[in-house]
Amino acid sequence: MNISGPCILRLALFSTLVSLSSAPALAQQWTVPTPEELSMTSQPEVPGAPAVYLFREETTDDKLHMFSIYTRIKVLTERGKEYSNVELSYAKVTDGGGFTVEDIQGRTIHSDGTIIPFTGKPYEKLVEKTQGIKVMSKVFTLPDVEVGSILEYRYKLRYSDNRYKSPDWYIQTDLWTRKSHYLWKPINLNGNIILTGERGQTKSFIAWASVLPQGAAVTQTQLVGTDQSLIELNVHDIPPAPEEEFMPPITSFTYRVLFYYAGYRTEDEFWKNEGKYWAKTQDKFIGPGSAVTAAVKDLVLPTDTPDQKLRKLYAAVMKLENTRYTRQHSTAEEKAQGFKEVHNTDDIWTRKRGSDDQLTALFVAMARAVGLKAYVGIVTNRDRNLFIKSYLTLSQLDDVIAIVNVDGKDLYFDPGTRFCPFGHLAWKHTLASGIRQVDAGSGYFNAPGEPYTFSRVQRVANLTLNQQGEVTGTITMTYMGDPAIRWRLRYLEGDSASLDREIRTSVEHLMPAGIELKVASIAKLEDYEQPLAANIEVKGTLGSSTGKRVLLPGDIFESNAKPSFPHEKRDIPVYFEYPQMVQDAVRIHFPKTLSIESLPPTDKTAYEKAISYTLVSESAADSFTVRRNYILGEILFYPPQYANFRTFYSKMENKDQETVVLTTAKATPAGN
Amino acid sequence: MIERAVPRTEQLRKPTMYSSVLVVLLCLALPAFASKPDSVPDWVRTAAQQKHPEYSPETNAVVLLEDTTYTVAPDGTAVEHYRRVTKILRPHGREEGIVAVPFDKDTKILSMHVWSIGPDGHEYAVKDNEMAEYGYPGQGNLFEDIKVRAANPPGRDPGGIVAYEFDQRSHPYLTEKTWFFQSDLPRLNQSFTLELPPGFTHGTVWAHSKKVAATDLEHQRWRWDLKDTPPIDLDHVTLRPSAFSLQGRMTVHYAGPSIPAPTEGTWQSIGQWYQSISKDRLVATPEIAVKANELAAGKTDFYDKTEAIAEFVQKQVRYFVIEMGIGGYQPHFAGDIFRNRYGDCKDKATLLTAMLSTVGIHGALVMVDHRRGVVDPDAPSIVGDHMIAAIEIPKGYSSPKLRSVVTSKTGRQYLIFDPTWEKTAFGQLEHNLQGGYGVLMEGNDSQVIQFPVLPPDLNTIRRTATFQLQPDGTLKGTVTEKRFGDLSERRRSLYTTADAKEQTQFLDRVLGQDFTSFTVSDFKVENAEALNKDLTTSYALAANRFGKSMGPLLMIRPRVLGSENLYTDHKKRQDVPINLDETMQEHDDYTIELPAGYAVDEMPDPIKLDLGFASYESSSTVKDNVLHYTRTYTVREVTLPPDRYPDVQKLSSIIAADEEGNAVLKKQ
Repeated sequence: MNISGPCILRLALFSTLVSLSSAPALAQQWTVPTPEELSMTSQPEVPGAPAVYLFREETTDDKLHMFSIYTRIKVLTERGKEYSNVELSYAKVTDGGGFTVEDIQGRTIHSDGTIIPFTGKPYEKLVEKTQGIKVMSKVFTLPDVEVGSILEYRYKLRYSDNRYKSPDWYIQTDLWTRKSHYLWKPINLNGNIILTGERGQTKSFIAWASVLPQGAAVTQTQLVGTDQSLIELNVHDIPPAPEEEFMPPITSFTYRVLFYYAGYRTEDEFWKNEGKYWAKTQDKFIGPGSAVTAAVKDLVLPTDTPDQKLRKLYAAVMKLENTRYTRQHSTAEEKAQGFKEVHNTDDIWTRKRGSDDQLTALFVAMARAVGLKAYVGIVTNRDRNLFIKSYLTLSQLDDVIAIVNVDGKDLYFDPGTRFCPFGHLAWKHTLASGIRQVDAGSGYFNAPGEPYTFSRVQRVANLTLNQQGEVTGTITMTYMGDPAIRWRLRYLEGDSASLDREIRTSVEHLMPAGIELKVASIAKLEDYEQPLAANIEVKGTLGSSTGKRVLLPGDIFESNAKPSFPHEKRDIPVYFEYPQMVQDAVRIHFPKTLSIESLPPTDKTAYEKAISYTLVSESAADSFTVRRNYILGEILFYPPQYANFRTFYSKMENKDQETVVLTTAKATPAGN
Repeated sequence: MIERAVPRTEQLRKPTMYSSVLVVLLCLALPAFASKPDSVPDWVRTAAQQKHPEYSPETNAVVLLEDTTYTVAPDGTAVEHYRRVTKILRPHGREEGIVAVPFDKDTKILSMHVWSIGPDGHEYAVKDNEMAEYGYPGQGNLFEDIKVRAANPPGRDPGGIVAYEFDQRSHPYLTEKTWFFQSDLPRLNQSFTLELPPGFTHGTVWAHSKKVAATDLEHQRWRWDLKDTPPIDLDHVTLRPSAFSLQGRMTVHYAGPSIPAPTEGTWQSIGQWYQSISKDRLVATPEIAVKANELAAGKTDFYDKTEAIAEFVQKQVRYFVIEMGIGGYQPHFAGDIFRNRYGDCKDKATLLTAMLSTVGIHGALVMVDHRRGVVDPDAPSIVGDHMIAAIEIPKGYSSPKLRSVVTSKTGRQYLIFDPTWEKTAFGQLEHNLQGGYGVLMEGNDSQVIQFPVLPPDLNTIRRTATFQLQPDGTLKGTVTEKRFGDLSERRRSLYTTADAKEQTQFLDRVLGQDFTSFTVSDFKVENAEALNKDLTTSYALAANRFGKSMGPLLMIRPRVLGSENLYTDHKKRQDVPINLDETMQEHDDYTIELPAGYAVDEMPDPIKLDLGFASYESSSTVKDNVLHYTRTYTVREVTLPPDRYPDVQKLSSIIAADEEGNAVLKKQ
């Protein structure tokens, strides 16, 4: 894979008038299938694949304001027939912009060469119609499709004459692609047409960001004697996009070429200038204005240290309604409550509510109001994607976080994530990249990570087994860091009844069958600086009996676990969301008629320096205790590591399934 | 940013004509619009001021008022006037405040108004241009022209009120209206008013509810009133039937001099009406006749002929449809379906019937609902979402291969078959329809029929395995699994359509339920396409640490693999029938050669339980150092009354205990 930076194509200096009228349509020829294409039954590289793209072609012609798409698909299995159903979505806007889909043609070719043309009329389906925009689909299906058929169709996508749309070539799909051809005939940006962006900035270059397989490259040529340049890409044998469990957020890294009409020559130039504009816009919103300045005087004391001030301001912001987790309020509601449009952080403070980004900006405003150097940064959320510097668009950036410089050190805060502890970031913002405000404008930055000690779950069971094999007792689930944030946000989105049910269900999934749970209380639900603790009452049956023995799971919290990595092969890295620590302590008291025959032996193991695991068992006259610690210190493991990594997990998960053997006969404990 | 059009295909979807759930889901993304502060109508304010009972903390909202007035014009067309006021009770109830009214080209919305009252008492009215319209989302193979007009009113918070009213035309080709008066929300006050022109008559049928008498408002107007209708909320009920099969509804049928083929509240009239819109669609073309005769060529036996034609329609006509207006009820022409080789459920049943007619076999369409219990034999209506076929069996003919057979009131026997269900063997019927009802569309002989519950031995899993246990706990051996009937459906799909990676990952996940580390080799599949033969899979398995070594003890699970997952909770069953889903039989037979130097110290006790609706037997024995485990689990019924829940709980716990039972080996 080759991830390249933006390529700048300076177009020919000479210019001619660009014709905006449509060129006469060339007679379009269908492709005659080869004998091999007709008879093929599989693609060796993807055994069992439902279909393959024999050929895909996309042509963009700026002068005609048109995209042309041509597709040939070979159906290899029953499931592959679904590729004969085609839905083409397009949008129209009231100001005259938008697309139309035209000239849909298609045919089915059976493996014996019989051709069945598509003669139907595509169905026009409404997708969405709101103020100013109407999204429609043209839907059709190719006729008489069999396993072995070749599906062939083409269509044109036209857009309005006063706009230009640079193409995005998404090369990797869910199918193997034998061959693709992409062609763009861009407008001459040095001619009489001037392209401008949203803020009126001139776009005089063509640039692109690409992720391409080895050996593939975008080429550009100039048609002799014309002002027409051609940008082209030919690729072949493209595998399907990967899809695995525990997959990194790499949806942005499938093979693709994304073009822009650009106003900047380099990526640094783009981010410097666009970042500066973004930073200025943020400053305008942040202020601080008079309302925020007045408010902080009531919130902090002049004698407070910076840390004390920040904690008080953070707490004040955390009390406000975060509409990301409730709902946005309409203008009508705002007016009814006497509010005008939101222009700055004063408006947010006055409302006592705001979106996640608005609340972050408010926190920064407050910090500035007490004399601290505070900034916002914006990152690509790591649950979704990764920041690509060479992809010259701010649209890849998601959430805003706060950065406060105290004694020369940048401290990071996440007031937009309700219930995120002071001085920490929600996991999707950790190790994420983006741009931030600096004193002179903006710059790149990488948000810090959190150690495994931040996100912890403690699972403690204290149970009593009676003569009849029934257990009673309590479980305490204590959540810290990201697990606590997750549960608190679920509470915010629902209520205490829904949280009770969700926590109970989540613990039930851990437990062996036969256990009944009831959430007795949840402590520190809104105190985000403290662990969240759920106390759960337990009753039911546990383990199995064999006459003179009772077999109990050693760690009941793992007794229902299934293998995390059952597949032997792995092509892409294993990715966890965040480092974490899970600590279990299970104590079971048993009747005097029973004694311990065997306990799981103590074990301690580690995978490199990234993961560690210990299981310790202890016995007493009428009870045993099993303690388990699992620490995940890193989040990314590469395919060459997979075999050993999987062996470690397999061994650990086998260990987790070991049982405690109680017997009615007096026995000498084995194991520990 | 303007989006580019891209072709899209999605997973095959089971057919359905019912769309309200998707319609509501669509609207969850509706943006909140600005609206002008306004006062709400008095009827909204009055409804909002009502006191309502205390509900459980998990009740999202309560419908305070729902009024429907259905006015029929002399030409038989009708307009529905509808009002509803909902109070949001908890944050999850915000979704109940999103207003979404479905319509299509025949059911135009003539007017629509939406209001709300915030928890703080502010009143709002949504303007027309603040509403949006959404289409039914594309399903890859099912497209309908149903749309929704939707609004996202302000103030949708706990304590807030959302109200709306609309006038809407009804489908002109229907002469019945169903009032669905029960849902997952409690409803305080509801009414349905019928207004008919002079000379028109009407009748009502009630499903899943006691009949309520109407108040005669005179001048051809009647009103039905309901108060405090409880919710049917099955979200957290185990082994639950479809909520739609329990929710109360009333269907009004009306007839008048201007209506040629009214549905008069009888199954016969519904069949006659359907015949009027489908008769010409069932006509076979010469091309159809040629194909049907080609398929039947050389076959003299009724079963053989019908099987060949039925499997052609089942396998060679793919599911794809664009439904518009009456197309939701009326099939396409058989000739078009045959030529294109695609269609929806009623198209496939239509083509099958047409093809059979050319080889001298009579068939008919059967309207059903894919959720057992929705079609109520005592409440004739066109409520249903699926179409299958009934193939008339010649008098005197019998064959053990004909399993899903129904005898109509006319004495004629039919084989019931669903050509849309791609993995159900010809002769059988998918389990979700078994025991339910359908409408046999046979013109004047139309009637409701009940589908048989097929015996357990037509839906089976049979596993056999031979293993050797190593002293270190490793288990090695070979496994053979045979599946037949609906229990083979998912795997047949997997092994006929999924790629090699997906197949491997599926097996890994299945075995991961019983082993923490394992390897599989020599995997083989037989008869994945042959629906009337056992789907057979076999493989060699090696599972590390299967035997748990605990000092001198080695513990193993005689039930090596395969789990039942009959999940029950510990709660007392409310008045909700128990849905066991399907009759079936599972038989496991495993031998495990034990390692030398170990002797069996303890074995799980044998189990023998027969509860009538199901039975479970298992035993573990040892002979010549070979452990032999067998079990047979049989389910004989598909639905049980609520009071049998303790028995189901008992069965569930016994199976779970047996599955986790251990044999203890001791080193000698």
